[in-house]
Amino acid sequence: MKHKDDNEDLSVIARGPFDIYYEGAAKAVSASNAVGQFDILPGHADFFSVLDPGEITVTTSNKPVTFNANNGIITVRDNEVMLFINI
Amino acid sequence: MRRPNAIQKESEQIATVQDLTGVFESTASTQVAKVKDKAQLAQEFFELLWKRYSSLRIDPGERIGERDNVEESNKKVFVMISAEAGLSGDIDQRLIEQMLDNYDGKTTDIVVLGTHGAQQLQQKGIPYTHHFTVPETDQYIDVSPVISAVSGYASITVYYEVYVSLGVQEIQTIDLAARIKDMGEDVDTDDIMTSEDTIFEPSLEVIATQMERTMMALALSQTILESTLAQAASRFNAMAGAKKRAEELHDLLNMEFHHAKRSESDRRMREIMISLKKKKQRARMA
Repeated sequence: MKHKDDNEDLSVIARGPFDIYYEGAAKAVSASNAVGQFDILPGHADFFSVLDPGEITVTTSNKPVTFNANNGIITVRDNEVMLFINI
Repeated sequence: MRRPNAIQKESEQIATVQDLTGVFESTASTQVAKVKDKAQLAQEFFELLWKRYSSLRIDPGERIGERDNVEESNKKVFVMISAEAGLSGDIDQRLIEQMLDNYDGKTTDIVVLGTHGAQQLQQKGIPYTHHFTVPETDQYIDVSPVISAVSGYASITVYYEVYVSLGVQEIQTIDLAARIKDMGEDVDTDDIMTSEDTIFEPSLEVIATQMERTMMALALSQTILESTLAQAASRFNAMAGAKKRAEELHDLLNMEFHHAKRSESDRRMREIMISLKKKKQRARMA
């Protein structure tokens, strides 16, 4: 397994087919799936999940960015978080 | 020669056609620009998701091939994506011709997207099993009813229109199931995600199943979007051509009008001259 630096920010890409919800560094990403509410923090293990409908929050060093998703997919790979929303 | 007022009346009608085609041309041009931006964004999104889907360590080809509801007859289906309305030039005609080159009614069913294509098939007496309307929108279209209609077939070939440039639009085909299958075959080994190093929630099986359907729907949505762009460009070309013809006709009518006017004034002048001549002759005689 690759080493993950817990001190690094997350690199987040949150997109829909025609929309860019957020692209940039973040401290955390919060969403929910069939298992329940979850948070992705720097250093999180690689992760692949189908999102439940609901609000997604991207915590940044400034104010948090929130948006709603009817459905979606989240993947985490080496501190890079990709959110594919409303597909 | 026709009378000038008749020519003038026709010229006014052509001027109206010229104005109308100008408006349609301008609308089509705006539509091209709008859809082109959307198509570019959607393509980037699709490529990102495609990359992630490809990294799933399950051979998507096998999964697609093993679909439970594939009919035993192994019948094929052609999905034809045409325009919803007319005025889009000859592109739908070319699409149908290319599709019919490979069509065998005994082994192949047709599913049509777009009313214009459905009408053209009806005129040719070619049957289709389903017809779906394609809203004139630059938003993503819910293709789940189409996916449900075609999911029982062994082979799904999509015939659609592609924008190459404003002047050139081409017809292309993709085998939807094969396209999804191909995704898993050229993955960088560093990108592969397995359950050994990745947490899958709720499970890899559930995610893979959902992703297959999602990717198939997205691939189909992409082809609809590309077709919409090509149709807008084709409509622009058709309207630009019609406007040019209307302008040429208007110029010809203008010339004919002036000739007729001049001819009429020449005739009147001749009549006046003759009448004057006769008057002079009569005065001399008297």
